[in-house]
Amino acid sequence: MTQTPPAADASIQHGAGQPLPWEPVLMTAVGRDGGRFLSDFLLRGGYQGLTKAVREMDPDSVIKEVTDSKLLGRGGAGFPTGVKWGGTKRNPGPRHLVVNADESEPGTYGNRYAIDADPHGLIEGMLVCCFAVGIEQAYIYIRGENLYGAEVLENAIKEAYAAGYIGKNILGKEGFNVDISVTRGAGAYVCGEETALMESLEGRRAQPRIRPPFPIEVGGGLFGRPTVVNNVETLMCVPHIVVRGAAWFASIGAPACPGPKLYTISGHVNRPGVYELPMGTTLYDLIYKYAGGMKRNQKVKAVSPGALACQLLPGTDLNVQMDTATLTRPPHWHPPFGPVGFGAGGIIVYGEETDIVQVVARAAGFFARESCGKCVPCREGTHWMQDVLGRIAHGHGRPRDLGILEDVTRNIGGRKTLCALGDFSVNSVASALRLFRPEFEAYCNGHARSTAAGSGVPVAAG
Amino acid sequence: MSLSQAARDRIVNEFIPRYPSKRAALMPSLWLAQEEAGWLGTEVFEEVGELLDLHATDVASVASFYVMFHRRKIGDRLIEVCENPSCFLNGSDQTHARICDRLGLDAGHGGHGMQTTPDGKFSVRPTECLAACDYAPVVQVDLRFYGPVHEADVDAFLANMEAFSIQGKPSVSMANGPQAVPVEGWETHAPPAPGSAA
Repeated sequence: MTQTPPAADASIQHGAGQPLPWEPVLMTAVGRDGGRFLSDFLLRGGYQGLTKAVREMDPDSVIKEVTDSKLLGRGGAGFPTGVKWGGTKRNPGPRHLVVNADESEPGTYGNRYAIDADPHGLIEGMLVCCFAVGIEQAYIYIRGENLYGAEVLENAIKEAYAAGYIGKNILGKEGFNVDISVTRGAGAYVCGEETALMESLEGRRAQPRIRPPFPIEVGGGLFGRPTVVNNVETLMCVPHIVVRGAAWFASIGAPACPGPKLYTISGHVNRPGVYELPMGTTLYDLIYKYAGGMKRNQKVKAVSPGALACQLLPGTDLNVQMDTATLTRPPHWHPPFGPVGFGAGGIIVYGEETDIVQVVARAAGFFARESCGKCVPCREGTHWMQDVLGRIAHGHGRPRDLGILEDVTRNIGGRKTLCALGDFSVNSVASALRLFRPEFEAYCNGHARSTAAGSGVPVAAG
Repeated sequence: MSLSQAARDRIVNEFIPRYPSKRAALMPSLWLAQEEAGWLGTEVFEEVGELLDLHATDVASVASFYVMFHRRKIGDRLIEVCENPSCFLNGSDQTHARICDRLGLDAGHGGHGMQTTPDGKFSVRPTECLAACDYAPVVQVDLRFYGPVHEADVDAFLANMEAFSIQGKPSVSMANGPQAVPVEGWETHAPPAPGSAA
């Protein structure tokens, strides 16, 4: 009846050697009646991690356990979670926890399903963090579009308050008090950036802050207090680490960035969706073994490994392991723009029928609209990219436009902006220019593809 | 239009105590005000500002940052079609065009603005990724998600949206549970892996 996660399996390795079936850790609520309610969560072993932390461990040993597990943040930056917690704790209280549930990166949607299926899994992770770091106020910032997720969370928080998991003297522990609330965004991609998110939570325009001070420091965090900002998936891993130990977690998947990962795959695949697999699963396995191969049996032309903010991988590079460590190191590093990037694991697969110029024009439009306007390279540059690519995509490109594009991308990318949105806005464009330059040239020489065959996408789309 | 007493009470008793600063209650307050009136006008900015000790222009500047806060009256129902790559690859432009066509709007008007039918029943605009790419092309109507809505589905969709609802449904890949199961016979259908296995 209970579905406590299986014991550690020393034979688990990453990539093609992964034994099957892989037992999901994070998504155990899926397919169960009332999986999102407290009663079912308790049947699945819920709040055991919190109970163990509070009753058998002290806060510092929880932080040590999380550090030893080598859990890296799942939001995209891949910062070691235990180090962030420890750093925050060294600064004076009161401290805050902010959950970044503003998942807006095109192609990334694991958090939404995780919240829908298992809101208590997130709340438990938050409570363990609050216990470890000494936090009494925790905020969940969820994107405005995801009203349903906000409702699911509100309901779960009510249940947890009623059952005494949130509130005063939690689990009978004197002085362990936590309050959790949900704040909804209102449609701004940049809120996924942690300092912009905090600005928004404080009731301001969501424009990133200048660092330092960093969020973990006094003056840099929410309401000026030291703040832990963690992704939904990151926090959901934490109770399992507490229950089963750091060694178990560190043994799953890629050694440098271990653990279960919610890969989301979309685009030209037959079975898009969320796949919970060990970190380091290869792109080939994800596309063919799990996602059912390519629509109309076409070849893979390119892949956005972490959605639009990452550089494109060529379709010949399918053996790459999909994890933070692999995709941020050479040979997946292209100066001056830096690593290909793994992002939050939102994989978009483009088949050979894709008109990559149209896709990139769309990406440029996205970043231009979502630029917050605070710093110049991004505010001006993204619109410049949008204009030039729009011109090219509509068949009015001029040969010198590609030079302009390269110049603009070099002047936005490479750490010239306050936040990663600007920095990464050029990744799709610059990598597409590197990999598929003849297609851009064809557009600029008046030989645009009349349609992207099969997908039925007319050239003037957009 | 101005804020109801119930809304004022909620802002004062629920939203303001939730945060250490009054200003932080602005986002939930604006959402509440928009739920009541359907959009946010100057009056509301003044009224919310009074409750939170903010100048109306300050409130307006925050509201104007976020695309989901409407600063003019919109149609009774707001239809938003995702146009980001995953939906685009699955034909969202055609879906958008067909929806506009059926509602008598001009899909090719260019730009990223919102269009509203003359009778005020519907507003339509393209939108950014809604984080439901497995159901691409995804359509959002009044903050609820629907998909996949292909071009050919548009008539059925407009007649009965609920049939396309994906709210609370598991991911396409998780129809049979959370386990990631290899597709049967995938080795025979897949091309050989390039190079040697990693």
